[in-house]
Amino acid sequence: MLGNFEYKRIRSIEEGCQYLAEAAGDGAVLAGGTDLLVEIRNGLKSPQLLVDCKGLDVLNVFSVDDSRSTIGASVALNQLIEHRVFRTTHPALADALASIGTYQLRNRATLVGNICNASPAADAAPVLLVLDAVVEVAGVEGPRTVPVRSFFAGVKKTTLKPDEIVTAIALPARSGLRTAFRKQQRIRGHDLAVVNAAGAYSPAKKVLKLAIGSCAPTPVLLDPIEVDSKDNEAFADHVIETVLRAVSPISDVRASAGYRNAVLPILVKRILHELLFEGSGA
Amino acid sequence: MYDIRFTVNGQPEHATVPATMTLLDLLRDRLALTGTKEGCGIGECGACTVLLDGKPITSCLMLAVEADGHDIETIEGEAVGGGLSVLQQAFIDTGAIQCGFCTPGMIMSARGLLNRTPDPSDENIVEAIAGNLCRCTGYEAIIAAVRLAADRLAGAKQGRGQS
Amino acid sequence: MTRELKYVGKPIARADAVDKVTGAAQYTHDLCLHGMLHTALVLSPHASARIVSIDIEKAEQVQGVRAVLTGNGLCYQLGLYLQDKCILARDIVRYHGEPVVAIAADTLDIANAACRLVEVQYEALPSLLDPRDAMEESAHLVHPDLHTYNYMKGVFFPKAHSNIAHHQKIRKGDFDRAFEKADIRLTASFYNPPVQHVPMETHAAVAQALPGNRIEIWTSSQSPYTVRHLLSVCFGLPHADVRVHVPYVGGGFGGKAGLGLEPLAYVLSRAAGGRPVKVVATREQEFNTLPSRQGLHSTIEIATSNDGKIVALKSTYIWDAGAYADYGVNIGRSAAYSGAGPYSIDNCWIDSYVVYTNKVFGTAFRGFGHLEVLWGIERAMDLMARKLGMDPVEFRKRNLLKEGDTTITGEAFTSGHGNPQQCLEAVAEAIEWRTPSAPPIEPHKVRGKGIAMLHKAPAMPTSTSCAVVIKLDEDGGADVLVSGVDYGQGTYTVLRQIAAEELRIPIEKVHITWECDTAFSPYDWQTVASRFAYMGGNAIIEAAADCLDQIRFVAAQALDVAPEDLECEHGTVYPKGHPDRGIPYSQLALGYTFENGNSIGGPIIGHGRFIAKGLTHLDPDTGQGLPAQFWTYGAHSVEVEVDTETGEIEILNIVSALDAGKVLNPKLCVGQVVGGVVQGLGSALWEGFVFDEKGRLLNPAFVDYKIPTAKDIPHRTQQILLENPQPGGPYGARGVAEHPMISIPSAIGNALYDALGIEFTTLPLNYERILTRIREKAESS
Ligand SMILES: Cc1cc2nc3c(=O)[nH]c(=O)nc-3n(C[C@H](O)[C@H](O)[C@H](O)COP(=O)(O)OP(=O)(O)OC[C@H]3O[C@@H](n4cnc5c(N)ncnc54)[C@H](O)[C@@H]3O)c2cc1C
Ligand code: FES
Ligand code: FES
Repeated sequence: MLGNFEYKRIRSIEEGCQYLAEAAGDGAVLAGGTDLLVEIRNGLKSPQLLVDCKGLDVLNVFSVDDSRSTIGASVALNQLIEHRVFRTTHPALADALASIGTYQLRNRATLVGNICNASPAADAAPVLLVLDAVVEVAGVEGPRTVPVRSFFAGVKKTTLKPDEIVTAIALPARSGLRTAFRKQQRIRGHDLAVVNAAGAYSPAKKVLKLAIGSCAPTPVLLDPIEVDSKDNEAFADHVIETVLRAVSPISDVRASAGYRNAVLPILVKRILHELLFEGSGA
Repeated sequence: MYDIRFTVNGQPEHATVPATMTLLDLLRDRLALTGTKEGCGIGECGACTVLLDGKPITSCLMLAVEADGHDIETIEGEAVGGGLSVLQQAFIDTGAIQCGFCTPGMIMSARGLLNRTPDPSDENIVEAIAGNLCRCTGYEAIIAAVRLAADRLAGAKQGRGQS
Repeated sequence: MTRELKYVGKPIARADAVDKVTGAAQYTHDLCLHGMLHTALVLSPHASARIVSIDIEKAEQVQGVRAVLTGNGLCYQLGLYLQDKCILARDIVRYHGEPVVAIAADTLDIANAACRLVEVQYEALPSLLDPRDAMEESAHLVHPDLHTYNYMKGVFFPKAHSNIAHHQKIRKGDFDRAFEKADIRLTASFYNPPVQHVPMETHAAVAQALPGNRIEIWTSSQSPYTVRHLLSVCFGLPHADVRVHVPYVGGGFGGKAGLGLEPLAYVLSRAAGGRPVKVVATREQEFNTLPSRQGLHSTIEIATSNDGKIVALKSTYIWDAGAYADYGVNIGRSAAYSGAGPYSIDNCWIDSYVVYTNKVFGTAFRGFGHLEVLWGIERAMDLMARKLGMDPVEFRKRNLLKEGDTTITGEAFTSGHGNPQQCLEAVAEAIEWRTPSAPPIEPHKVRGKGIAMLHKAPAMPTSTSCAVVIKLDEDGGADVLVSGVDYGQGTYTVLRQIAAEELRIPIEKVHITWECDTAFSPYDWQTVASRFAYMGGNAIIEAAADCLDQIRFVAAQALDVAPEDLECEHGTVYPKGHPDRGIPYSQLALGYTFENGNSIGGPIIGHGRFIAKGLTHLDPDTGQGLPAQFWTYGAHSVEVEVDTETGEIEILNIVSALDAGKVLNPKLCVGQVVGGVVQGLGSALWEGFVFDEKGRLLNPAFVDYKIPTAKDIPHRTQQILLENPQPGGPYGARGVAEHPMISIPSAIGNALYDALGIEFTTLPLNYERILTRIREKAESS
């Protein structure tokens, strides 16, 4: 048994926001529970109320196409990973999600839970950042949207208010973007990222976006980089330099700062290869 | 306390549970279905794997109240009509069991795989059971068991098709 | 005339398989007794501290709490070989995670809630984390009262007023002179971190204090009789008043060989008025509170002649025992008498120190110190081969024990020991040793091959014994009673095969009761040291012969034939050459009845025993003596691929050869090898405790303590089982269960040199360590 809390299965989002407002910071949304229940078990969190939205059909849907995709808050990771269209339209995101935990876990865990948990290592975060994803939020004061880049506030902290529920993640039109995701683990089996990184490249605009996880208190989105691919090697060096300046990895039980600093450039280099250089003769 | 209705291995169940109870505890402590094991309590080992509406999940990371309205399958439902299932027999035949503590969870993960992918590749098999830690066998025989079960099931289907 | 074997040597499926695939197998975790209480623990947050005060008042008042215990009321000293441990910490805590308060309550939730109300005040003390520091004169003492403790005299040598729990010496020949005079010398140091067993079933025990000072225990243990013995000694009770049951056990690997949670469960039950009390370790406690494998610092000096013959070897092994000695002292002892590898060395000097520190304590772990010492020895062998400019396989061949050589304790090596050289040659050939690895396609990857030898003998007292009882059933079947435990290794299946073979009955008719119960099952020392099939197998052979003698004795009267003119086959006894005139065992099992109703004989119960033969204590000053019932030799070869940009390592192939003497069951034997190899891979690549500077364990959970998953196994493995018979072994068999794990790290370390030209000396060989060394090398060149 875990902690000491009440449980509410809500019938509408408004009701959920109301409960959370009443709980005044002592409430939490229960999605897949794969972060929340572990934290409660380990005594890291002790909410008095869990609000379960999984009964709401509106949160259980996702639509995927080239123009705009929306992923409801209750959609389990495997629903996305095993969806053929999703995999082809959002390959990097699918890769990132498939790298999360175990098969059993992904039948419960959600994309929304992954970012609401706001772990610096959240594997979905870098991809959502480079895709300019938008978080759709409902609260007692009504709905609002937050770009993912303004969503993370610190280790395990978001900019959500206590009464707010994320209803969906929206991904804007892909307009020819090429994307890639890389994750360094300690073992091939399930593991949290020592470092993770995502890139999105627009061949039309010749602009590259990169985001890095596990190397700062929050996932880090770099300023867009103009791609000048006359000299691949020099460009890669320039990008890596920029990346290393943007992050501040620490040493912990998972890896030393030195290892993170050593592997990060490799992940970035491999992303550049996949997005920019491959087939361009480099 | 919460009133919940659900099925376990096809049998309708009704229980009154506190919010804080996990599905694992409900199965083991209330329903005496101790085939489902606890190896970590935090989703890392897979010993507690059961099927929720046909899909494998770790029951230590699900609240009992969340089972309301759902179908749960456990290892106790795997044997069919007094005999072993093809999957169970394959585990025996390939030597996929040592201490046996991981076995129920392994079989449930494999069952989930064969439900969705009757003809899995070795890669599918590994992905499906990688969330189940086994400290005894080194996994080779387990992978072989799932492969064997899939082949036998396919063979049986083909045999039926021909006759 | 040799009879063809029907069961021995055949791939018979496990006897317990049906219980296990259906979920019907009951483990201690699953046990629930009427009125049973549940336990939660308050653990020390310090590695070393004085307990100033403990306030349990609030906890005691919680509704549903039935017993709250602290170390103060529990004046018992426990220990296998050295009595240095209390049931709960008293006055001082010696490691982070040591139990300080235990609470039994109606539910686990209540017990946990009550634990949160306990207030303990500590005064932190400096913590000793490195055993090399702990050996300094000036080091603070983890056990200031060491000189007052009881210990097994003549076998162990704790050093009063120091942190040294045991010092084992091996002295053969004249090391100093030989080293001095040698052509080529080498010194190298190595390190293994503490590692956890990680049985999937954590430690668990249920105990009930019965009226009249009796104890009944159900426990997830490898050693029912050792639990019984230690409890009866600790609490001053007659042995028969302590009854120990062992149901199915979810893995042990040595971690459940000694005393675990049983004494605690018992004192809680006593304090709770005799209600049964269950104690189950959480996974975190399994890492943090229950024992692990000891860490090891080793320094190895080798000297050879120019042509590659080792003339002298010296090792210093400094074991990180952690806070208590447990099995650690015996590991320090047995890994010393194996501590020069399977080589012939005339001048050998080994010092093995088992040293207390403020860490979770060490215990037996599959391999019993050999994985650790052979990490150093087998790496050093490669280092030396390079110095000599010799091929590592040739260098080993030149020095392997051969008939006529003596071991470092003076034991003569004979053909009955098996054939280490054959093992070496087999793995070298299978990995195509002479052919360099094919270059990988990706330019940032490199490949390499490595090889390592292994050996081990059971580490057991000179008087180790066991017994078996066989009861014949009225249907002609046999019930076999043993109290070695089959916690997955498959011994019961093998014993069943031997029983069927010897009794001449179909294997389906042989039953082994899975639950051991000291009230009914005959004595066995412990299920450790890969000696259960060997000793239990011999005892079964004797017990079956006893049954057959009884069968023949009664049948002789029934058939009016001399007993020696009778033979047995297919569950029937008959005059030689006249199977048609036979009597089925079913008509003899409970006694034979003549047509007129007269009856003779009676229930047939056979009894067999085995006791270790010819073992001696080791000389305290030189370590000379005969410590080993048998030796098992083996070798591994591996091929690895390394990503030089990230440090990731992939295992392409592992070939293992073991001289099993006789493979009693190939399916189970291969299963042991594959499982052991992958467990060894864990020790090689990922596993190891990480402590902070204050001695707090930073990775006591699967989140940061990674063991191999199905994604982490080698691309290929191959098992080669040799059968050079063991004199005195059942059907010529010797133990093989621990061995596959040993030297996996060494073989991988050696392959990493081949791939990268880097000498690794510290485990685990995780991606970060590999990359760090690759970069260091690049910078320095
Ligand atoms: C064994 C294991 C392995 C893991 N491996 C990985 C890994 O490799 N990579 C990785 O990134 N993560 C990993 N995780 C963490 C976790 O599984 C993921 O972060 C997952 O996506 C969380 O989703 P969830 O639905 O389970 O979230 P929950 O646990 O239900 O919720 C997480 C947090 O978000 C909040 N929340 C959830 N939904 C909403 C909402 N709609 N509105 C507002 N707040 C909300 C919750 O209150 C909670 O604080 C692992 C966890 C485990 C147990
Ligand atoms: S007990 Fe549920 S995953 Fe380990
Ligand atoms: S068989 Fe023991 S853990 Fe898998």
